[in-house]
Amino acid sequence: MNDILPWLYDSLIALTLLWIAWQTLSTRDLFKAVLLFIVFGLLMALAWVRLQAPDLALAEAAIGAGLTGALLLDAVGHLRVPRRPGPRK
Amino acid sequence: MEKLYLALAVFLMLNVAAGLLRILRGPTAADRMLAAQLFGTTGVAILLLLAEAQAVPALRDVALVFALLAALATVAFVKRVWYRKPEDIP
Amino acid sequence: MNLIDLLGTLLLAAGGFFFLAGTLGLLRFPDVYTRLHALTKVDNLGLGCVVVALMLRADSVAVVFKLGLIWALALLATATAGYLVAHSARQHDIRPWQGPGEDV
Repeated sequence: MNDILPWLYDSLIALTLLWIAWQTLSTRDLFKAVLLFIVFGLLMALAWVRLQAPDLALAEAAIGAGLTGALLLDAVGHLRVPRRPGPRK
Repeated sequence: MEKLYLALAVFLMLNVAAGLLRILRGPTAADRMLAAQLFGTTGVAILLLLAEAQAVPALRDVALVFALLAALATVAFVKRVWYRKPEDIP
Repeated sequence: MNLIDLLGTLLLAAGGFFFLAGTLGLLRFPDVYTRLHALTKVDNLGLGCVVVALMLRADSVAVVFKLGLIWALALLATATAGYLVAHSARQHDIRPWQGPGEDV
């Protein structure tokens, strides 16, 4: 009864991570996939915190969620704007 | 008091899981981005609570990075994905 | 349970309540602007309650200032993001919700 709260927290974060990973892989909308990837990075940082690795959590939040997320958002923006006026869109 | 911190962290994780629904069915792209903003703020709160509950002061630095990067993602979204081309503006 | 603990517990409960209100607003409000209003204001108020509750039990003065600076940075970041998203939504001709009478 004493350690039910950490167990609850860990199982909640693990289930949410698996669900986000599945949604990221199976969605058709690219922007939604990128956004879910950013959220996955944030939650993964919280999981590293629970695994007693704050340095990995810092790296995951800065590189995984922040830097890669911003670069992927930039890439999605470039994909949406057609370079030349053509038949696309 | 540590138990109360952990209980509030569990509650905030439930909030995050509920906010995921808005990402999955937001009508516009801005709604989805707003849910990511919610995760930034809630993540800061969870990290501060865990820093006190687990007695790891380094987690406050992670919370600082969280607060900074949620805004960075939103700025990248507004400037690069959702902007309007100048010739479209009447 | 002394006075500091009682005050901290009350502030933590208030913070949890405000976070719940922010999530409900995100899920239930009708358009972008109202959701923005719920997220940028209510969630930061909840974060402020949690920060003050943690400040009451902090070990040193440096920790108190660090917690305050984290909250200030979160406020600044959320205000900037809220302005940018609202401005961009207006540029995209998204109409504000006019009330329950008319459908948007």
